[in-house]
Amino acid sequence: MKDPRASKFKQVNHSVTKIDALQLALGKDSYVGDLAPKDALIVKMLWSPHAHARIVSLDVTAAEKMPGVKAVLWHGNVPRNVHCTAGQGFPEPSPYDTFMFDNKVRFVGDRVAAVAAETEEQAVAALAAIKVKYEVLKPVFTLDEAMAPGAPVIHDEPEAHVPIPIVYEPKKNLVAHVNCEAGSFEGGMKAADFTFDETYETPYAQHCPIEPYTSMAQIASSGRIIITTSTQVPFHCRRIVARTLGVPVQKIRVIKPRIGGGFGCKQEILLEDVVAMFAVRTGRPCLWRLDREETFRTGRTRHPFRIRLRTGVKKDGTITAIALECINNTGAYGGHGLTVVSCSGGKTLPLYHCENILFDGKSYYTNLPVGGAYRGFGATQAFFAIESLMDHMAEAIGMDPVKFRQLNHIRPGEGSPIFAALGEGREGTPMTVGSNSLAECIVQGAEAAGWKNRADWRGKTGRYRRGLGMCCLMQGSSIPDIDMGAASIKINEDGSFNLLVGATDLGTGSDTVLAQIAAEELETTTDKMIVYSSDTDMTPFDVGAYASSTTYLSGEAVRKAAADAKRQILATGAEMLGLKPEDVHCEDAHVLNEDGSKKVSYSDIANYSLYQKNQYQIIGTASHITKKSPPPFAAHYAEVEVDTLTGFVKVLNYVSTIDCGTAINPTLCEGQTEGGTLNGISYALTEQYLFENGKMMNASFADYHIYSMRDRPPVKAILVPSYEETGPFGAKSVSEICINGPAPAIGNAIYNATGARLNEFPFTPDKVLAAIRAVKK
Amino acid sequence: MKAATNSVSFTLNGEKKTFATSPDEKLLDLLRREGYRGTKYGCGQGTCGACTVIMDGRAVYACLLYAMQAEGRKVRTIESAGTFEKPNEFQKELIDAGAVQCGYCIPGIVMSATALMETEKDFSDEIAREYMDGNLCRCTGYEKIWIALRRTLDRKAAADAKPAAEKTTKRSSSKGAK
Amino acid sequence: MKLCEFIRPEKLSDARNALRKLGPKGMPLAGGTALHFMNTKTPGTAVDITRLGLSYIRQEAGAFVIGAATPLSDIQRYRSPRWSMHEICRRISTHQIRNVSTIGGNICRVFPWADLPVVLLAMNARMMIYTGKKKEDEVGADDFFASQPARRFAGGDLLTAVKIPFLKANHGFGSVKAARNAAAFSLVTVAALLELKDGRIQAARVAAGSAIPFPKRLRSVEAALIGNEAIPEVFRAAAAKATEDAKWCKQEGMSAEYIKDLAEVSLVDALERAAEFARGRTK
Repeated sequence: MKDPRASKFKQVNHSVTKIDALQLALGKDSYVGDLAPKDALIVKMLWSPHAHARIVSLDVTAAEKMPGVKAVLWHGNVPRNVHCTAGQGFPEPSPYDTFMFDNKVRFVGDRVAAVAAETEEQAVAALAAIKVKYEVLKPVFTLDEAMAPGAPVIHDEPEAHVPIPIVYEPKKNLVAHVNCEAGSFEGGMKAADFTFDETYETPYAQHCPIEPYTSMAQIASSGRIIITTSTQVPFHCRRIVARTLGVPVQKIRVIKPRIGGGFGCKQEILLEDVVAMFAVRTGRPCLWRLDREETFRTGRTRHPFRIRLRTGVKKDGTITAIALECINNTGAYGGHGLTVVSCSGGKTLPLYHCENILFDGKSYYTNLPVGGAYRGFGATQAFFAIESLMDHMAEAIGMDPVKFRQLNHIRPGEGSPIFAALGEGREGTPMTVGSNSLAECIVQGAEAAGWKNRADWRGKTGRYRRGLGMCCLMQGSSIPDIDMGAASIKINEDGSFNLLVGATDLGTGSDTVLAQIAAEELETTTDKMIVYSSDTDMTPFDVGAYASSTTYLSGEAVRKAAADAKRQILATGAEMLGLKPEDVHCEDAHVLNEDGSKKVSYSDIANYSLYQKNQYQIIGTASHITKKSPPPFAAHYAEVEVDTLTGFVKVLNYVSTIDCGTAINPTLCEGQTEGGTLNGISYALTEQYLFENGKMMNASFADYHIYSMRDRPPVKAILVPSYEETGPFGAKSVSEICINGPAPAIGNAIYNATGARLNEFPFTPDKVLAAIRAVKK
Repeated sequence: MKAATNSVSFTLNGEKKTFATSPDEKLLDLLRREGYRGTKYGCGQGTCGACTVIMDGRAVYACLLYAMQAEGRKVRTIESAGTFEKPNEFQKELIDAGAVQCGYCIPGIVMSATALMETEKDFSDEIAREYMDGNLCRCTGYEKIWIALRRTLDRKAAADAKPAAEKTTKRSSSKGAK
Repeated sequence: MKLCEFIRPEKLSDARNALRKLGPKGMPLAGGTALHFMNTKTPGTAVDITRLGLSYIRQEAGAFVIGAATPLSDIQRYRSPRWSMHEICRRISTHQIRNVSTIGGNICRVFPWADLPVVLLAMNARMMIYTGKKKEDEVGADDFFASQPARRFAGGDLLTAVKIPFLKANHGFGSVKAARNAAAFSLVTVAALLELKDGRIQAARVAAGSAIPFPKRLRSVEAALIGNEAIPEVFRAAAAKATEDAKWCKQEGMSAEYIKDLAEVSLVDALERAAEFARGRTK
């Protein structure tokens, strides 16, 4: 149901060509690696071969003397400043438990020492000359091992602490604990006709951006440190590098050029402290690029979860009680541990009406690769549990799974106690849902997927059996009251504008989307915008690209900045026309009077204001913080074919509907939905971390399977518009929610094909076959 | 750069070139070192396709090939595909379709598609997917890349078919079709 | 291997002499993709064998002859009656790999996941080896793959061609490669060549690889097929015999028990394909 305002949009809600598409398609210098000076030193890191060990001795003297080596860094020659690598607002809701280099290693792939040399070959040779003696400690590889009384303490350093008053008990390997209850869960269970108690497990995964982590630092002639890096969080990067190096923020400039994907793994300050330190020590530009194997092993990952979900439902379909208990494995360092587990409840539980909701979220350390921010951020994991159990409940009461959800999902204008109870590390923000076209998403998706032809599994025969499954989803848009974005916009002689935003385009096209918003507000065209983003010296502040914020938060800052500039344009235009500002308006890059008989172009106004009279720079600036986090909504449908002899599952068709409010750029919204969905599909079916003694063994695309053009099933994205009053031109967000759907939708489809329920994924053939064999007719 | 002990000569984007190199230098490193940075590093293991170039008409992974293997051969990189003023047809379709998100995989995809269009006459879905199966993308889900590719292939197939069609309908003349 | 030198011999005999002189420091280089799986520290010399005229597909005297340095993509594109190499080649790795990886490279040093040895064993291919003499040695697949072929070439001898007999009348070939994705390494590869007569199996060559330490023929499976009808029950019973020949290994975190189930289903599928193929081929 399209809002009437949407039909008047001239720039937004149009699929304007992405501003940087041409330069990228031509292969022009765009990414960090393309911009490195020829004389940049190459940085290489020595990684820990042990999952848990103390470094008893470390001798770099031989390495330092090797040909081409300019500097070696290790815990003995760098500042010991405890910090957190997570790209979050300050003070971070995460433990400060990381040092640039420590005298302890906590996972296979932890930092030991680093070399900067003239060539990669020389750097690698020098690594081999570093002599390390370890005292191997007992490792912790599972949640049960981490939680066991007397478990090895992974973070026993005295400096480890949390900067805000949140639960943190490193002696118990506990990184976070957050809980809340609305109503009475026990009471709700008593009122139920059917109760359920299921445990689910979700796996490790890596984001696999095609551009691996890459960072470069150089010393400017002024002596300042210039970091050019593939990051989602330039401003957090600047602050955290300043802290880690023990230098003032003023000394550092962070620039984000084009980057080759992030999906959350680059919401982390993982390389920049080391390259900056090397630049300072050597005076030379320093480039560090993780190779693909290092990206898998030492980069950030998706938090594995163990989820216990208990629910109660009445025969009439009322959900009387929900208890969601989530425990995540945050790996060797605690960044994002709390916020991911908070979101697993905060961004999922409001979806369905229930008066009795209990949530408990915990995060534990293990000696395994580190969990970070990954698209979906806890909601992905929790929705697997919730949406699998929803189907289970529907079947118990004999109701169609779609109908069961239609009965129970949140409606426009409704709220949930969870919104206030669960934020990201702090309490949340109470909210009623404004825009919500979930009901329409469900119907359109069902139609596109052929839901009415769905048959029960009990009648299915033959080796290859088909099934149809679905799920409903929500997410959030920005972190209210905590995150801030800002923008400024100034006019040029030809009626073009420089739009300066802190907001971070990771390939998502936010530069384009923000330009469209500015152009719409300013009554001009998107091609008049020159966008420059994510440079801590040149652009106003923005927290960066995460929490599905850029359109909803940064977009509103841009709109307000454009409105600010527009006021100045109107004033000057009026002055030029000899009229009062209230008697003129903007239209098609002109200021004109009511009947259009008098008008002056933006270009005229610019020339006048820059050169001719009462000269000043027309420039608008604004900041924005959001007051709510309006959820996007989605309904996903998956059709699968299961080979009941081998357990192989093939996705035949997938429909992703999405309510993102106004789609500022419909093609880009589809692109986000299609890409995130396919990522979710391989997460559900083929991606996994295989470990041996804590070492990730399948660290290449040959062994860690993501889909190619030959594997991909058809994915249909359907935009179902609504209008979010609090968002710029009605927009909410689009980028995370779509990855949440495939695991539960495919799981439910496998059930519909075979009667087999799986409580963990990836749905590898061995697990599927075992589950099929366990089915009792 | 490390000490170059050898040299290698090959035709690069139509020009005969000679470069200093060493036996274990990979073609990708040589190309980027010499300024052809449109070819990207994605994995260094011959699995992602970001480094795809065309050698003697075949799409290959520059990160796996030794520079010395290019001796006497014809190599083409993304720099030969199009310019700001004249992007090639597939590049234009990719841009129009909204298929360029982070863009990191795109040069490799353009080169694989170029090899497909120059080698095959049959542009069926099956053959097209086989030619493109070595280029990974994590942003787009391939939907819009595929749409852009299909459009380009269909247009080329129609254009290739035309002269033959014109031949049969025209009266035999010394002119003939192109 | 870390390449320290790169030489381009102009004749086959020069290549062999160079390799003999270099010993373990010499490495024949065709596509070069295999070097990626080998130790990167030992220094060596690459001997480029791609310019010796060893890239071709011909037909002669009842067999297809494929030059050792023929890229897999050429084999993938080749079409002819009585030929079925394209099917397995289109399922190996990715397009760019198939463009440089050669048939010789896939079989002269066998890695556990290799598909071609399995297929060549089933097809009873013959390998032509240049040993410095005027006439090349011809080695049957059973002999060639009896142990790691790399040992055979340690002295500098070179594979020059692979001969694959034409599929005769009443013969059918079927292969199955079970993998998670199109480009993934095989979990299990099986191949079968069957000769049928009046609906019964006259002769059978069945081979497996990837889920076992080294590709091999499954002779117990073959024995269980000979003389019986080409029907699913026979195929299933024969497939179950595979454990007498092969110890199935765990793969990608999946148990050996599961891989055994997968292998047996794949064997039945391959046999059914081979039988159907044979039934359709009366000439």
